[in-house]
Amino acid sequence: MATSVVLQKIVKAYGEVQVVHGVDLTIEPGEFTVFVGPSGCGKSTLLRMIAGLEPITGGDLIIDGQRLNDVPAAKRGIAMVFQSYALYPHMSVYQNLAFGLETAKLPKAEIAVRVQRAAEILRIEPLLQRKPKQLSGGQRQRVAIGRAIVREPKIFLFDEPLSNLDAELRVQMRVEIAKLHNDLGNTMIYVTHDQVEAMTMADKIVVLRAGVIEQAGPPLELYNNPRNIFVAGFIGSPKMNFLKANIEGSDATSTRLATSTDVFTLPRPTSGAAGSAATLGVRPEHITITPGSGLKLADVRVDLVENLGGQTLLYTTAADGQTLTIMLEGQLQVELGSTVTAHIDPARLHIFNAEGNAI
Amino acid sequence: MTIEPMRLTVVTETNSAKRLRKRIFSVVAHVLLISASIVMLYPLLWMLSASFRPENEIFNATSLWPSSWSLDAYFRGWNGLRVSFGTFFINSFIISILSVIGNVAACSMAAFAFARLEFRGRRFWFAMMLMTLMLPYQVTLIPQYVLFLNLGWVNTTLPLVVPKFLAADAFFIFLMVQFFRGIPKELDEAAVMDGCSPWRVYWKIMLPLSTPVLATAAIFTFIWTWDDFFGPLIYLSDMRQYTVMLGLRSFTDSTGLSDYGGLFAMSVLSLVPIFLFFLFFQRLLIEGIATTGMKR
Repeated sequence: MATSVVLQKIVKAYGEVQVVHGVDLTIEPGEFTVFVGPSGCGKSTLLRMIAGLEPITGGDLIIDGQRLNDVPAAKRGIAMVFQSYALYPHMSVYQNLAFGLETAKLPKAEIAVRVQRAAEILRIEPLLQRKPKQLSGGQRQRVAIGRAIVREPKIFLFDEPLSNLDAELRVQMRVEIAKLHNDLGNTMIYVTHDQVEAMTMADKIVVLRAGVIEQAGPPLELYNNPRNIFVAGFIGSPKMNFLKANIEGSDATSTRLATSTDVFTLPRPTSGAAGSAATLGVRPEHITITPGSGLKLADVRVDLVENLGGQTLLYTTAADGQTLTIMLEGQLQVELGSTVTAHIDPARLHIFNAEGNAI
Repeated sequence: MTIEPMRLTVVTETNSAKRLRKRIFSVVAHVLLISASIVMLYPLLWMLSASFRPENEIFNATSLWPSSWSLDAYFRGWNGLRVSFGTFFINSFIISILSVIGNVAACSMAAFAFARLEFRGRRFWFAMMLMTLMLPYQVTLIPQYVLFLNLGWVNTTLPLVVPKFLAADAFFIFLMVQFFRGIPKELDEAAVMDGCSPWRVYWKIMLPLSTPVLATAAIFTFIWTWDDFFGPLIYLSDMRQYTVMLGLRSFTDSTGLSDYGGLFAMSVLSLVPIFLFFLFFQRLLIEGIATTGMKR
């Protein structure tokens, strides 16, 4: 039975310094929610408050309709997987998995059944008698997840669980965690600073900055309709390009924009006032260099070419010095120093006002 | 073509000069170290030799090697006083073992509190505890004596043992606090998520990971308690309660009728428990902390 989590005006302060500023969030039962944001944005603090490892300074934490602010960590029905695995070094894998159940004074037979079941799910049965030092990074991470599974929690919390693994193992474990979520159906909250992890795993992404939620929603919603420049820049890889522009005028059907090199008309209205400064946002993968393939954005000089096999990345500079990254499908031979014309589908263009909000 | 052999020659000469310098340095270093070792070991060897000599030869012989080997001093020393030396050994063992248990248990608990628990005035009490490190024993001796006298504990072993169970040894608390701080906090947090109380975190997680520092505390407590002369001298007056160190003092007599052979023989025996204790516990010292469950 999956569980809902509701955060109402959650505040965290260390003395006079407030680090989380009244966060409101609803996580539906069974949802895989990912907290993302740069270092120090408060995502881990928020997770630790949900876990019960950090006291909540203000607001309400409601799990399954009950306010749990003052309930001890072990009694919240939550299990947590730590970034550093935090396996008990002096215990075998079996003992690590069984420790929480022994603390809860479950019968030995029940403990054995649960440990065996978790070991089967994670394919770590042959490792049960080993000590953590005899395990590889991936195996340790599995044991750490197993330690959470055996407790049969209502909610799983993951605090950057893959950040210590190499790239290949990270992808593999990412898939395994996603599968685990599909199989168990529990509510899971996952903290990461890796937006690829967030995009691939989440039902809902919560983008945080400086203790405030910038935007929360399904991954593609954040990708397609970022609420502000920060979210636009954070979601998507390579990062979205931003170009300075001015709104020359706007009517019910179109907006006239001027960059330092070009003036063009966008076939949709915006709420920005005529004469105001704006920022254009365009994702590298939405730019083409084929003539006639969209609205002409700018003529740019190619500074660097990266061939990734499936795609080709062009790092370019416009005449006014603004940089533009272009991601093209396939393997292209583009000469360094040559000039290409960047085109964009107007529907893919994002416009932000001087405050950085989408308009 | 002609330059290459010349270069090689120069290199070879340089290498052999380096090797010679290295060898001379090594010889000088070894001579110095061996000399220093002899200076350090000589009193011990002299005492060992004296314990096997006839009484009249102890202060007259020039050689370390006795003219004749005898165990007389050992038998004489063991039974030569009003109370058998075995009693002193038992007393010393009881006091030392209880001190080890008390110090390790109480200091580790206090250190856990300072290192891991949040409580009002933690920094202040930690600073106070550190300040007691700077107080010489002699400063607190008289107030302590008066306290134990009022409690009726003088001429019992209680003043030597009970303070150890009250985490009175700031040095070990400090040592353990530093060690506990080195254990990743995520382990505590994982244990808290697993439902552990602070006591269970201490007992099941911190203590098993702290064997090196616990062994260090145990070894030094044992050695310092075993070797302590001043404490027993102040608090014990009944010979049946004497420790080994007080027993050794009893061999010397102000009237000049000292049994030096017995003194040296019992001195040699008094070193054996310390040696064995160290031998047993030093294995734990080198095991090191295993934080391999963590990704660092």
